[in-house]
Amino acid sequence: MTQYNRIDGGLIDRSRVLNFSFNGKQMQAHPGDTLASALLANGQKLVGRSFKYHRPRGIFSAGSEEPNAMVQLRSGAYLEPNTKATVVELFEGLSATSQNHRGSLEFDLMAVNDFLAPFLSTGFYYKTFMWPKKFWEKLYEPIIRTSAGLGKLSLQEDPDCYDKGFLHCDLLVIGGGPAGISAALSAGRSGAQVILADEDFIIGGRLNSEVYEIDQMAGSDWVLTAKAELETMDNVRILARTTIYGAYDHGIFGALERCNDHLASTNNKPRQILWRIYSKRSILTAGSTERSIAFGNNDRPGVMLAGSVRTYVNRFGVAPGKQVAIFTNNDDGWRTATDMAAKGVSISAVIDSREIDPRAKISGAGLFLGASVVDTTGRKGIKSITLSNGQTIECDCLAVSGGWNPNVHLSGHQRGRPEWREDIATFVPGKQLPVGMACAGAANGNLTLNSALHDGYDIAGRQMHDLGFEVAKPLTVDAEDESCEITPFWHVKESRKRAWLDLQNDVTVKDIKQSNLEGFRSVEHLKRYTTLGMATDQGKTANILALAIMAECTGKTIPQTGTTIYRPPYTPVPMGAMAGRSRGKDFRPFRLTPSHQWAEQHGAVFVETGNWLRAQWYPRRGETTWRQSVDREVEQTRKSVGICDVTTLGKIDIQGRDAAEFLNKVYVNGFAKLAVGKTRYGLMLREDGIAYDDGTTARLGEHHFVMTTTTANAVLVFRRLEFARQCLWPDLDVHLISITDGWAQYAVAGPNSRGLIRKIADKEYDLSNEAFPFMACKEISICGGTLARLFRISFSGELAYEIAVPTRFGGSLMEILMEAGKEFDVVAYGTEALGVMRIEKGHAAGNELIGQTTALNLGLDRMVSSKKDCIGKVLSQRDALNEEDANRLVGFRPVDRSHQLVAGAHFISKGNQPVMLNDEGWMTSVCFSPTLGHSIGLGFIKRGDQRKGEIVRAVNPIQNSEIEVEIVSPHFVDPEGERLRV
Amino acid sequence: MSEYCLEPASVLDEYKQQFNGAELRELVDVGKVSIAIPLKGEEEVEKVLADHFGIAIPTVGKSVLSEDKMVRVIRLGNDQLFVLLFDQQSDPRSFLANKFGNVAYLTDQSDSWVGLEIRGTKARQALERICMVDLHPEVFLEDHIARTLMEHLGVLIIRNGDDSFVLMSASSSAKSFLHAIITSIRNVV
Repeated sequence: MTQYNRIDGGLIDRSRVLNFSFNGKQMQAHPGDTLASALLANGQKLVGRSFKYHRPRGIFSAGSEEPNAMVQLRSGAYLEPNTKATVVELFEGLSATSQNHRGSLEFDLMAVNDFLAPFLSTGFYYKTFMWPKKFWEKLYEPIIRTSAGLGKLSLQEDPDCYDKGFLHCDLLVIGGGPAGISAALSAGRSGAQVILADEDFIIGGRLNSEVYEIDQMAGSDWVLTAKAELETMDNVRILARTTIYGAYDHGIFGALERCNDHLASTNNKPRQILWRIYSKRSILTAGSTERSIAFGNNDRPGVMLAGSVRTYVNRFGVAPGKQVAIFTNNDDGWRTATDMAAKGVSISAVIDSREIDPRAKISGAGLFLGASVVDTTGRKGIKSITLSNGQTIECDCLAVSGGWNPNVHLSGHQRGRPEWREDIATFVPGKQLPVGMACAGAANGNLTLNSALHDGYDIAGRQMHDLGFEVAKPLTVDAEDESCEITPFWHVKESRKRAWLDLQNDVTVKDIKQSNLEGFRSVEHLKRYTTLGMATDQGKTANILALAIMAECTGKTIPQTGTTIYRPPYTPVPMGAMAGRSRGKDFRPFRLTPSHQWAEQHGAVFVETGNWLRAQWYPRRGETTWRQSVDREVEQTRKSVGICDVTTLGKIDIQGRDAAEFLNKVYVNGFAKLAVGKTRYGLMLREDGIAYDDGTTARLGEHHFVMTTTTANAVLVFRRLEFARQCLWPDLDVHLISITDGWAQYAVAGPNSRGLIRKIADKEYDLSNEAFPFMACKEISICGGTLARLFRISFSGELAYEIAVPTRFGGSLMEILMEAGKEFDVVAYGTEALGVMRIEKGHAAGNELIGQTTALNLGLDRMVSSKKDCIGKVLSQRDALNEEDANRLVGFRPVDRSHQLVAGAHFISKGNQPVMLNDEGWMTSVCFSPTLGHSIGLGFIKRGDQRKGEIVRAVNPIQNSEIEVEIVSPHFVDPEGERLRV
Repeated sequence: MSEYCLEPASVLDEYKQQFNGAELRELVDVGKVSIAIPLKGEEEVEKVLADHFGIAIPTVGKSVLSEDKMVRVIRLGNDQLFVLLFDQQSDPRSFLANKFGNVAYLTDQSDSWVGLEIRGTKARQALERICMVDLHPEVFLEDHIARTLMEHLGVLIIRNGDDSFVLMSASSSAKSFLHAIITSIRNVV
């Protein structure tokens, strides 16, 4: 196929040829073409099928408002559906296919829907698929799902990469047409930081589509001159191929930059960037979008917006037809006729709905004033039109102009409503704009060139003044204020055929009328009932027409009828761009413990705990199940000594003259009198009296403490302590620093732990039980002078220590502990063994501290000091939290020791039905205890402390099982704590 | 003499890489100490800084580099300073404790943070992809500092030269942080 629709002129580079394909057909075009202009140049009129009726559709517009020309780009994993051909910048090797048809594009089997249209009227789905109910999932839904959607996904992982970024500016100029460029010039000359963004791949907007002159030069040349000046300014950044898709709070905008979509390969660079732009001021110069006129069969390929036809002629050097008719209700439509005639394109007729004097002489064209188009022929491409006077005129392109709608969308993203302007018959931005925003040019209803240029320049100047910049000298340009006179004309009432409003969703004038008859009065309801203005184009060419028809139906004015709320995004944003780089392992950061490398080398199985990766267990050769590894780690630790990396526990350095008093206020138990060199277990409550974290705090000096928190709550505790410090008690001299990452900390547990610690501690330290007893702490040195902190605390229930060194020594310390521990047959244990030993010992952990349990529930009520106040104390004394039959944390063991307990099982007394009414509590933590040789558990049960020895049923309704369990002490191992103190 | 000897290791193995227009390196052997200013004790802290380092206490959001470029004092909050020591003190806390005595509360943070330095003509462009702070040379001046987030990670950013920035983040997530910064650079060079 040759480019037989090419004509002279345009902004394309004819010195180079680009090869591309559409539905497998090889075609040629030039740099500067869009896919749409290239298809038109090659005579490809039929490019897609409509959503519902599968009507043949062609290219309708020349921008992002396009409802019809949706194609799939590329192939394989790179396949991208629902791409608008009108905004796709052509590149060598581009491959595009049509979508939404079964069979070929030319012979779509689903076009049968069009013949069934009388049965598929608006609301068809809602009315039809209601009964019989059982058909819903098995019949209706599969059929609807198969039929729904336009393009198809590849269902493969997207191989492209995406990025995000942050930009800042004094002024964001949204749209690079005449108003936008002059605004950027104004602000740029003032010295402000300016971002000028435009969705097109060249800036200039309509100046590239028109033949207007500015300062006696072509508008497109003036753009190049202005662009050259802007590019010399360090303070101006031009973002072409960038759509400002959303206006958010505080002058923040979302922008999508399509960096590499115009290249055959992205070379592993981000395909698109999602920018967050922080602006002090913004100016909406997004131009305007032409609307159509509704008449019978106005959706045929070849029926196009008149301004877009001009774009193809003037910018791309393409004539969309050989014999063109124009149907207009305003003076702008005449410009299409004159521009095309000037390029030698045959104009068969100009039809103006107004009874006016002709606006131009068009050689060879019939002029029909006060007339309209009532019908068209040509299924896969328009062949003729029928006028209201009954005359038929042959044409292969009908250019329609129903007036221009300012692109007000972003002005309404903060729920601002546009206002109606009668003189131009359209909505303009309202008074309630996003903070810092002003509107100018066509987007503000100034639809003529000269006014747009000055509007942009002057408004930007005022914004500069507001920001304290020196206002640039006045703009001196010589440009025309072309006529834009219009008489509203929305639809041709004489048409008996379907007149289309929303071409993408197949919504007709009749549909609007029908929804009105059915009682849908609100535009929001109308939209959802008819699907008007949905999907990728969001009704940019349809909505105002539909509102006008609805207004006719209801007898209201258009402004009384109102518009739907404009919401981001202005044009579709790919999910890949939303995700940015947050995919796969980059979804979130990982935190690694100091012994991570050692653990990897020793085959550890890791578990994610928050962002941390922790060793869960260390399998050894011959162990085929995790239980074997965990049992061994527990047994070896209890028998001799084990090492566990506990660096992940939160560590907070607390200093200040009032540090002790501060701790007294945040813990339920007293800390004021904790001796230097001692550690104490503490429990913290929320303000409502519920327990939220526990841990130990060591006193290293008179005014110096180190608090540990649970891994999960490290950040929460720090945040709450900061709140207490800064807001509740600002008069206390206390200061907090998180040192979680600063210290590598290992639990060294087991009867031989002292022996192992002695081997690495420097000799001057007496670590005997007498000199360094249970709950002691001390700063010592190890391995010949390295600073370390030693705490004699135990989570396992064994004689145990936690030893901390600066993190840079953490990896080395793990190796040394394992090396020095060889003589004790030391074992490294992971979080599973840690959990088993804490259950055996009866320590509460995350399963018990669930944000619903009190100190009383946990059996820690006696820790709550009666001699002092603390956060949560008053509300912990509420009657409801202290009832006689409150849940108590106790231990459970199966009556038949061969049974396994299940966490989450509910306790029901023997003889009672397993229903909620009889629910007495639940199992919180279970494990197999290698020490006892059977399954054990912890759980909450009413009056548990008074029911030891009682047999209850642990019911698991999910797995439909239950077993009998005996209530026992939660301390399965060493209940008297003798091992801790040896 | 102990049988065992602990070997220190840098969290990023002293990473250093030259890109086209940007250089990225791990800052090693930099002592980092938090200084908490006691209630109503700012004047005394100011005096120590002036007497021992010849620098004035910076305002929040700013930092000051000593004349010998060995000490950078950063003001993170009303009662919080952060000190970077570039003279390879083996025990930076003790070094400062000797100067401050009981005038301030000190916490050694050398191992809590990883430091990266990114410099070069494309440094800002790379940081645009990850840092929400306005780093324009006329806005974020030399010695300015900011606490921010980069790819979910808390970061302290310091401008320490024309086109040079120090980025400090938690050491436990240092590898993810490095990966994020490298990705940002690779996406622009």
